[in-house]
Amino acid sequence: MPKRIRLDKAIVTENDRLAARLADRYDRAGVLVVNLMSSPGAGKTSLLEATARRLADRFRMAAIEGDLATDRDARRIIDAGMPCRQINTSGGCHLNAKQVIQALDAYRLHDLDILFIENVGNLVCPAAFDLGEHRRVVVSSTPEGDDKPVKYPVAFRLADCVVLNKTDLAEAAGFSAEAFRAGVRDIKADLPVLEVSCKTGEGLTGWFQWVAEARKAVGSPAAAE
Amino acid sequence: MHEASLARALWRQVEAEMACRPARRLLAMDVAIGAFSGIEAESLEFALDLLVRESDWPDAEVRLRTEPLTMVCTACGREFAPEGLRLACPACGSADTDPVRGTDLRLESLDVETEDAETHSPR
Repeated sequence: MPKRIRLDKAIVTENDRLAARLADRYDRAGVLVVNLMSSPGAGKTSLLEATARRLADRFRMAAIEGDLATDRDARRIIDAGMPCRQINTSGGCHLNAKQVIQALDAYRLHDLDILFIENVGNLVCPAAFDLGEHRRVVVSSTPEGDDKPVKYPVAFRLADCVVLNKTDLAEAAGFSAEAFRAGVRDIKADLPVLEVSCKTGEGLTGWFQWVAEARKAVGSPAAAE
Repeated sequence: MHEASLARALWRQVEAEMACRPARRLLAMDVAIGAFSGIEAESLEFALDLLVRESDWPDAEVRLRTEPLTMVCTACGREFAPEGLRLACPACGSADTDPVRGTDLRLESLDVETEDAETHSPR
């Protein structure tokens, strides 16, 4: 007898399962975890370098760095004063929860206030792979164009904050902050857009404030505060 | 994107459903792909077909459909299908809206050949 079984079940991937375990682990350790994603070259590493230099005396921070090849970015972050563990994905276009679990061996999470995960440069796939993080940040930069939000709606929709980098190049790139913000509003109206230039330092105070507020909202009271 | 791993997760779900039921044969499966899930239907279908063909039910039919994005307004409660990427509420204009359908991958139903005296479902 043919029969129809109605299920309507959302498919949970192995990554989702591992990410849920990670989220639990972060919470038990009381560490804020921020997942940074962007196209290649938007300035994720520069933002972390600036963060390492500026917030080192307020928070105990560390990073996990995802790249297809080389440990160049991890070395930049370490040189700026933040411990960093490099993951090489050898072709993989995103970080997954399993890789993060392995990289976490390098850290005692209880000793950290904030863990940054710098994803592989790519605005498509990282958005689909939950790493258990508390906050997702999309870094965009003016030379990429002001239509990034509407071209990559999934990544922007899932973000908690957008850092718009390279404002010092906006004019030369013919970038309209107005058009960019309108695109963001259409996709997620309450998504904050922080305009910064990691090169000149302009606007970075807003980013540091956002990080401090996220830390306050998520972690257990920091010993240093 | 990562359709092969999604296809595998979907197929594992199908196998689990089949294992816990007195069903003899899988005839067809209905799968809904959220329009806002970032999943590409063609790649998913390609990967699923491979898994089905290697399975105990190589003739099972895979029926895919796209589930349109549906949002709900948290201010006025209205459900709506957004036009393009304008996700604000068309009724009250509030920007405080959440997706209710169309963001994930769902296994909607299975058509199976049951053993003789199966009585669970109302017909």
